[in-house]
Amino acid sequence: MIPTISTQELSFSYGNDVVLRDVNVSFPKGKLSIILGRNGSGKSTLFNVIAGLEKRYDGQIFIGDVERKKIKVGNSSELRLGFLNQFHQMTFPYPVFDVVLTGRASFSRFSPSKADHEAVHAILKKFDLEHLKDKPYTELSGGERQLILLCRVLVQQPDVLMLDEPTNHLDLNYQMAVLRTAKELVQEGTTVLCVMHDPNLAFMFGDQFYLMRDQSVLDINGLEREEVKNLLEETYELPLLSLENQGKWMFTPMLNEHQ
Amino acid sequence: MKNIKIIVLLILFPLTLFVLSLTIGSTQHVGLVELFQRMCLQFGLIQDQHLLADGSLNTILWQVRLPRVLLTFMVGAALASSGGVLQAIFRNPIVDPFTLGISSGSAFGAALAMLFPIMSVNLSAFIFGVCAVGLTYMVSYSGARTSIVGMVLSGMVISGVFTALLTLLQYLSDPYKLQAIVQWTMGNLHTASWSKVYNAIGPISVGLLVIVLYRWKLNLLSLGDQEALAIGVNPRIIKLILIGVATMITASAVAAVGVISLFGLIIPHISRMIFGPNNNISVWANISIGGSFLLLIDDFSRAVMPFEIPIGVFTMIVGAPLFIYLMRRNAMNWNS
Repeated sequence: MIPTISTQELSFSYGNDVVLRDVNVSFPKGKLSIILGRNGSGKSTLFNVIAGLEKRYDGQIFIGDVERKKIKVGNSSELRLGFLNQFHQMTFPYPVFDVVLTGRASFSRFSPSKADHEAVHAILKKFDLEHLKDKPYTELSGGERQLILLCRVLVQQPDVLMLDEPTNHLDLNYQMAVLRTAKELVQEGTTVLCVMHDPNLAFMFGDQFYLMRDQSVLDINGLEREEVKNLLEETYELPLLSLENQGKWMFTPMLNEHQ
Repeated sequence: MKNIKIIVLLILFPLTLFVLSLTIGSTQHVGLVELFQRMCLQFGLIQDQHLLADGSLNTILWQVRLPRVLLTFMVGAALASSGGVLQAIFRNPIVDPFTLGISSGSAFGAALAMLFPIMSVNLSAFIFGVCAVGLTYMVSYSGARTSIVGMVLSGMVISGVFTALLTLLQYLSDPYKLQAIVQWTMGNLHTASWSKVYNAIGPISVGLLVIVLYRWKLNLLSLGDQEALAIGVNPRIIKLILIGVATMITASAVAAVGVISLFGLIIPHISRMIFGPNNNISVWANISIGGSFLLLIDDFSRAVMPFEIPIGVFTMIVGAPLFIYLMRRNAMNWNS
């Protein structure tokens, strides 16, 4: 197992509030790794620290074999890391095509080339979103926005892709579309790191699983179904029923905990 | 269809306006044919004793009107482009060189250099313009994100401070210089001369060139820093270059003709209305429409009005209602 992203004794705190404490974890190359955990458990913080948005951490993070702090953004010789986090509003009503095209900004010094335009057409076609091409981004629904931003990150063809709750706001159809795409990318050699809330979707598509709790990351790979169930029950503080569905694990809350 | 619109509005319209602007003025209206003849004469293409005899009109055309038209176009293009760039970078449709305090800072710097000629007016205007925008940004910066309303309010305060300092300079200066400064701060195009054109043309054309080169990246910058990092681009360097350049062209414009309030706010909105928000086109539009529009206003005041309204007064009166309209329309997004 070759790690693409690994941390050593990684700690992070907001003021006196410790969010991550001595995290040692590694995410293997070319796999879909999924991080589960409660709200506020530090998933997004871990995500931001690895993505380079939070720089005041202790310990070390390696992307490939380079320490995070030594990575210069925009240096094309290194691993390309793309991420999609929870988005805010956009000020100007750019058409969808122009929004996705900005994803190619690291490929050219000034203006986009013909190849960049073609890449955008290709990615929109892949997601069946060509009809939205000229529509202002600000007029899209939440789910469409999420997909367009995903296209924007994918159009740079990242080596490592980080997704923070990519299925948020999406209907079931789009949830599956996004995760299938993630899976396809993994088969093409991309390393995907994904923060998720729904364990069932996670176990349907993921290769590697991690559980965020007690300011740390627990590697839950290689465990039996019952052991995973117990850990999830402890984490979510809910009695769960574990099932097997089409060869994949499912965990669903018990309706009546006294039965 | 779109190409026709671009050619007509961005190339033909400014060129036509440019030529027509040379024909009109308070002294004497010159016909197009005569203008052409005199142009040929100026470049030594024809010899005509009759036209040469009327030397004063030649002087008016080449020493008064041409530099004025050139300077007006450059200043309009500079202010509009600067406004467009700042709106994109600060992700804020109600900022411009005036609301961010750059204009007032530059005005103070320029006036200071006029009273105490330690360094050139251009340089002094630039230095204080940078100080003003830096201060505005620092005052409004609060941790993670800079709010739209916070930035405008800090800009107003910083602008107020520099205006106060400028008033102090006026108070301290002798009556002769005082009159010069007061006229100049209201935005004056009638003082245009070739030396002003030479001083402004360097910084403004270099600045506009840089903006044109980076025009597409403005789309990316206007999505925010995180969205740039997300696709592997460090936005900081491009942002610094572009803010520097926007300040430079504003400072040159202010040093040449004084403060023209809110002009840089209005034009980017007109450009976006006609050509859409994509900076790839609207950067060109800001140059073209900005230059033409200021030329148009100036022509109006030269040809129609019995006396000249200072250009800064005129744009403030036109710009204020637009600013209020935009402020009310954007009121919903002001918390974030």
